[in-house]
Amino acid sequence: MLIEAILQAVTAVLVAVGLFFFLVGTVGVLRLPDFYSRTHAATKCDTLGAGSILLGLAVLGASRGDYTDGLKVLVIAVLVLLSSPTAAHALARAAFRTGLEPYTLPEARGGEDR
Amino acid sequence: MKRIAVIAVLVAAFVPLAAAVAQLPTFGEASNPTNTYLVPRYLQKGPEEAGAANVVTDVILNYRGYDTNGEVVVIFTALIAALATLLVRPKQMAATPPGDDAPRSPIVSFVVKAIAPFIAVFTVYLVLHGHLSPGGGFQGGTIFGALIILLSLTLGHKYGLSLLPERSRPWLQAAAVLAFIAVGLLGWALCGAYLAYPSYSQLEWVREGWLIALEIGIGVGGAAIFATVFWTMEAEP
Repeated sequence: MLIEAILQAVTAVLVAVGLFFFLVGTVGVLRLPDFYSRTHAATKCDTLGAGSILLGLAVLGASRGDYTDGLKVLVIAVLVLLSSPTAAHALARAAFRTGLEPYTLPEARGGEDR
Repeated sequence: MKRIAVIAVLVAAFVPLAAAVAQLPTFGEASNPTNTYLVPRYLQKGPEEAGAANVVTDVILNYRGYDTNGEVVVIFTALIAALATLLVRPKQMAATPPGDDAPRSPIVSFVVKAIAPFIAVFTVYLVLHGHLSPGGGFQGGTIFGALIILLSLTLGHKYGLSLLPERSRPWLQAAAVLAFIAVGLLGWALCGAYLAYPSYSQLEWVREGWLIALEIGIGVGGAAIFATVFWTMEAEP
């Protein structure tokens, strides 16, 4: 009974952390200045946000004794953690190879403003 | 003058359609024939009458089998149209497209190679399990087509093409249509109507076999068509 309550509390914390990263990632996609930094923000949603929420759901499954469901959720989490950074890497690499320049501060560019 | 004629034609087409829509029963009304007769029949007798535990599969492949047959032909026709309008010859498709020799990211190649077998197994699972749970030929075929596209992007155009050998490719592209024609004609010969299924409970395994044949045909055909459309667009200058 106590263990169940503790596991549910852990779930709540993990899901809250995941939601926080989703919020931050969404703000980042809307507010950051260029393609590279926005890609970086969007990847945070998938890795830390979805990863943490899925981990929380697996713990919730374990607290109810649904170990198979928890395991399935963990497998989904592994897939997300593998595929999402890879996709972000491929996107950024393709953008860099086609010559998209990263955003730099006006001072660093010698004062001229775009 | 031309504009007035167009408006006149549109109005002439719109009025009877609007009149017909006005006579339709209210959407979602509990006394509609769909709710009083059709849906309860599907839900209660579907698995027993149509042969699949998943009601969606029952409706798609048995109750409305003709509709799905037409749909499959439409997808195949779309492929023919794409091939005809983009004017890509088989030789052009076999040639490596521009950018194919660019250095590949080792990270992407490694992750794709690691995940690809799992995607392939998932495809087979979806196609065969559509019988019992959500899934089926269309879903499985879409994912398999995406897998072929993914492999030909990351491991090279040649490798992707080798997954669908040139000699068997036309047959694979037509697999869905051919599966429907085969099952339909078998139904005609054995049960008296195109795409009819045996209704005796002793012949349940025949019915299951036909449903699985249709699912596999739809899956293989869909995947081959998606991959070919991708390669066609890639080869287009």
